[in-house]
Amino acid sequence: MPASQDAVLPDHILAAVLTLAKREMLSKQPKETRFAFHSDDSQLQEIFSELQKDNRILDAFVFSDSGPEPYSPALEESVSRLQLSGLIGRENPDYEVVFLQPSADGFFDDVLSAEFDKPQLEQLSKIASAFLKRVKVA
Amino acid sequence: MAALPAPPNLAERVDTFVQWLFEDFKPVLPTGPKVFNDALLGNLLFAKHEVAVIDCPVLQRLRRIKQTGLVYYVFPSATHSRFEHSLGAAALSERCFDAIRERAKVEGATFPATDDHTSGDLAHLRMAALLHDVGHGLCSHASEQIYEQLSDLREFKNDKRYAANQPGEILSYLIVNSPTFQEWFEEYVVRGCQAQLDLKVVSNLILGRHADKDRYFLAQIISGPYDCDKLDYIARDSYYCGLALTVDLPRFYSMISTEIYKDYRALALRSYVPLEQILFSKMTLFGSVYHHQKVKCVDSMLRSVIGHIVQNPEQAKFPIRGGRSVSFADPVEYLYATDDEFFSQAGGFGDDYTKNMLSRFRNRNLFVRCLEISRRTVTNWEHYGRQKLIDLTELPEKLLDLENKIHASLPPADRAKSNRDDVRLSVPGIPRVSGEALIQTYRGASPEKIKKYFPVTEWTQSYAHNKWRSYVYAPREIAPAVGDAAISVLLDYSGLEIDAGISNQTCHL
Repeated sequence: MPASQDAVLPDHILAAVLTLAKREMLSKQPKETRFAFHSDDSQLQEIFSELQKDNRILDAFVFSDSGPEPYSPALEESVSRLQLSGLIGRENPDYEVVFLQPSADGFFDDVLSAEFDKPQLEQLSKIASAFLKRVKVA
Repeated sequence: MAALPAPPNLAERVDTFVQWLFEDFKPVLPTGPKVFNDALLGNLLFAKHEVAVIDCPVLQRLRRIKQTGLVYYVFPSATHSRFEHSLGAAALSERCFDAIRERAKVEGATFPATDDHTSGDLAHLRMAALLHDVGHGLCSHASEQIYEQLSDLREFKNDKRYAANQPGEILSYLIVNSPTFQEWFEEYVVRGCQAQLDLKVVSNLILGRHADKDRYFLAQIISGPYDCDKLDYIARDSYYCGLALTVDLPRFYSMISTEIYKDYRALALRSYVPLEQILFSKMTLFGSVYHHQKVKCVDSMLRSVIGHIVQNPEQAKFPIRGGRSVSFADPVEYLYATDDEFFSQAGGFGDDYTKNMLSRFRNRNLFVRCLEISRRTVTNWEHYGRQKLIDLTELPEKLLDLENKIHASLPPADRAKSNRDDVRLSVPGIPRVSGEALIQTYRGASPEKIKKYFPVTEWTQSYAHNKWRSYVYAPREIAPAVGDAAISVLLDYSGLEIDAGISNQTCHL
């Protein structure tokens, strides 16, 4: 069926940013064993809307301009799908803490690292650093 | 050599479709308002100019499109149409409008909208609700899941003006904005019925937009966290499916008002209890109806027959009025076909495969589950292969490739008695529930997002994830072989290890 399919899926960009953020955090705090941060959906929307301004690779998350706040359905769906796939989790009961599951590392090493070229990986690392500065690590 | 003329863009093709709709239509001006008796909402009054729109082919076409697509194969009474849903949405939009106006009056608060039925905000609101679904095609959301992946609509989704909208809403917007519809509307509705309506305002409301921030709440009544569409379809779908769900609409309306939020006048609820009720009902509908394994099966069968027509346009094309035909390679072609026309031609169009599939629909000889992919059947559920599986929701070509691989891996005898379009892998998505609804805990308090009190989006996702299942479907006669082949192909593709014994039990093989 004819379709236009983007080379890189938004889910993969988000998974790469989170995994690279985890690796940067663990490189600075070697005693930590997991990467978790406080966030809800609207905070993530705000952060990625900000980061998108300087990073074309995040154009995959198109933000609607129809309401009072930035909102990207693609980002919301990516978060949902990463949770559905088990790459990220949320802590009960208030779901405010998002954490990366061990499978995210495997996905990055086996799939994503080959999918992105070197300049893209450098850009994603830069985004991951900026992301880390904007979230409260749990 | 002169350049070839550019092919018509999506808006132009939508206009061609609207011209086709109006070809054999002889408009007659209504004599006055009409009352429609709705099974769910009772007597609904429509003004003269609204009756003109209701009687036009753009809306009449919705009588022939079922609201819940192919759900009636599982829930026999779910045969209600997009037409009655549109009437219901228009009525509920006014009830919402009235409730906000009355509360503002009682509280002495600002209410910036005008409530004339033939001009002004209320008239535009009702018209937008009436027309909000005219972009639905064959089998409603069942085909939307197919054509949303086509390149034209992907381009729209990459535009921030349309990013938040569903494909059907974008097509509704384009139909309402089409020159042919605008010309007819101007002559028969504006001049003929003396209704001062601007279709630009109406079409923007369908997208959930309003040029005036002080009237943003009107856009939210049409397309927002608890819009009239949702309020109607939750109540209507549960009623016609026979599910005893309760949506206390009077209570909901008694709690609704508007507040200024970041310069926008937005809808705000004084209590989140009615919203919880809506949310629970919506999730129950998803679990019990929309994502029912047999509903996903008939959706997959529709994808089989449509996919076959797309791949074989000459042999399998679908004939339409005027000696033309469509082959579903373009989102607009899904508008030409309605449920009634598509399935009533069961013996009359297409090649052998198309005829066989339509016969299956006619006789409810449905595919069966061959494989279940879920936490109960996958032994390495924590493996990242689940992401590769879920990626398929965005990669229709890859999905088709995997289905073809499964078919190609069948033993020769099973392969010989089947078609490659007989193998379908269904990877459902997750319902979207916005946590952006506002709540005002007491009069004068600053409006806050409902998620502060109830993590709507996150709760919904967690709930849906636990119910999520992916299936492989095929005709019964090849089901065991397809199940075995699919285990191997999916292991190669995703790394997921599926326990055949457990899957066979859950699939009753």
